[in-house]
Amino acid sequence: MHVDPIGEISHDPLARIGLLMLAIITLMAIFAPLLSSYSPHDYTGEIFSPPGMDHLLGTDSMGQDIWVRLLYGARTSLVVAGAVALLSSSLSVLVGATAALAGGLYERFCMRIVDAMISLPTIIVMILVAAYLRPSLPLLILLISAFTWPGGARIVRSQVLSLKERMHINAARTFGAGWRHIVSTHIIPDLSPIISALMMQDARRAVFMEAGLAFLGVSDPMVISWGKMMHQALAFTYLDVWQWWLVPTGLALSATLIGISFLSCSLETAMNPRLKKDHARDNVRYG
Amino acid sequence: MNSAKAECGILEQKREHSFWKILGKNLFPASLQSYLIALGAIFSLNFILPRLMPGDPLHAIYGDEALVAMTDEMEAHLIRQFSLDKSWWDQMLAYIMGLLQGDLGFSYYYREQVSQVIMGALPWTLLLAGLALVIATAIGIILGIESGFCRGSSLDRGLVASLMFLGGFPDFFIGILLLLIFAVSLDVLPLSGAASPYAGYEGLAYIFDVLKHLALPLASMVLVQLGGIFLLTRNTMVTLLGESFILTARAKGCPESCIKYSHAGRNSLLPVTTATGMHIPHLITGALFIEIVFSYPGIGSLLNTAIAARDYPLIQGILLIVTVTVLSANFLVDLLYMRLDPRVRYAR
Repeated sequence: MHVDPIGEISHDPLARIGLLMLAIITLMAIFAPLLSSYSPHDYTGEIFSPPGMDHLLGTDSMGQDIWVRLLYGARTSLVVAGAVALLSSSLSVLVGATAALAGGLYERFCMRIVDAMISLPTIIVMILVAAYLRPSLPLLILLISAFTWPGGARIVRSQVLSLKERMHINAARTFGAGWRHIVSTHIIPDLSPIISALMMQDARRAVFMEAGLAFLGVSDPMVISWGKMMHQALAFTYLDVWQWWLVPTGLALSATLIGISFLSCSLETAMNPRLKKDHARDNVRYG
Repeated sequence: MNSAKAECGILEQKREHSFWKILGKNLFPASLQSYLIALGAIFSLNFILPRLMPGDPLHAIYGDEALVAMTDEMEAHLIRQFSLDKSWWDQMLAYIMGLLQGDLGFSYYYREQVSQVIMGALPWTLLLAGLALVIATAIGIILGIESGFCRGSSLDRGLVASLMFLGGFPDFFIGILLLLIFAVSLDVLPLSGAASPYAGYEGLAYIFDVLKHLALPLASMVLVQLGGIFLLTRNTMVTLLGESFILTARAKGCPESCIKYSHAGRNSLLPVTTATGMHIPHLITGALFIEIVFSYPGIGSLLNTAIAARDYPLIQGILLIVTVTVLSANFLVDLLYMRLDPRVRYAR
């Protein structure tokens, strides 16, 4: 069970491709101001101008430079991905691990809630909440995390349950180790590969949901988002602009998603095969 | 002969009887309970959310845009209907009574009862999602069995790589790509809608027309769903082929095709069924996105309109109907799973 995820995946071509894709997107996001001379909110020229030296990907229906918006959209996606991954996976670990360790009524209560939340059509619930609250970026991150943690909580719980019964933990207990010691030295380190896989999946869902919500028109008007760009561009499929507006944006979004899923897939394979059964059940596609 | 038949009947009855008993015992506390919790959560979300908003709850329930067009008389009627001038408890009773009578509210955008608006759109979504589920599952299982059986071959590697790559795309972008390729660039299939308007097709021509409009949305949904089902079937196949009962079958001299489908293939259906059940929420929400891309007149397009018009009662109604659909589909899958796996039926 003591697996070094980074060592394992560095030999996997799948993980390398994923990392490369994510690295490119991250560099684009970080160096956005250096890669272009326009501001994403500015009216920079004629509307619908085709790609050229001035505008790498032309301009959209508001005369804004598409390339610049693409770069800044990467920032939104990555910030949401990172924040949700942290927040949601900590919630999963908190609920899943405490449920498994405490047991009893508390465990039943937690798992019932988790089961109920997993069976809900998350995106529509989020759409309703978002339609009322009209969320800003931090609120959106909270909202997405609030709906992504249950899947992870279930995985963490089953893992902690099986860890709890392992030989080395029993041995530690016979030597008189307290629960706090066991949790911090045996359970948490053994959970780390799962947590890293969970974070990947949460990040993937977060990117997808942020873009999906924006694509549906539920987003902060000031936030530049790939989903919103696609939403706007879809109205102009009768013009040629989709070639440099809709398609590049969609490809950037897909590259981010594919990068993350390749990484998480190779992480999963690197992990304990015993876990795979449970994992495959819960995380076939969206995780 | 007759007595034997009767005995069979009694046995059959006994089996049925025990099946329902076990169903009641095992299923009710576990999955059904969480479905009921989920449903209750949605009810309360629908009830509480508008009332938590700052300002007048009527404004929150109906949105500012609706109240511009509303007369004093209508407002008074609505306040009475929701018991908004009374306590929260009375409001909740009024809300529950309304729901029990099938009253989901009034969509001011469509100027019609929400339930009627949704019922008009639901069949299209169910047609799209249901067909996509059946086709994707069938293709996914067959490809998965074939690919898992000859693991490591070029067919297997090609399928795994391409389907994993495909599964990474967000649903709506696959839809957009198909739309751009087949409807915009090549212009071979219709761009939007579910049937040609005012064409007056009847009989076979109408069905053909509907199928033609269905082709692109369906294809994009199948492409998105395929990957997960395929990978799961394949991985289960690979694991199963190492089991000893396969060795026994080989030793008996079973033909390869029999091992492939009857021994390993049949057993690999179990995890796929579970996964399919867990897929259903994604399937329905995926259908919503695809519908918006293709302006297919189902729930998704309705939701899109409702969001754009800020028609809150309609959004709430859609959430409720979709939740009920998803939960009952999940429940059906649970039942199916018990039929497929005797261990679940007789366990405990």
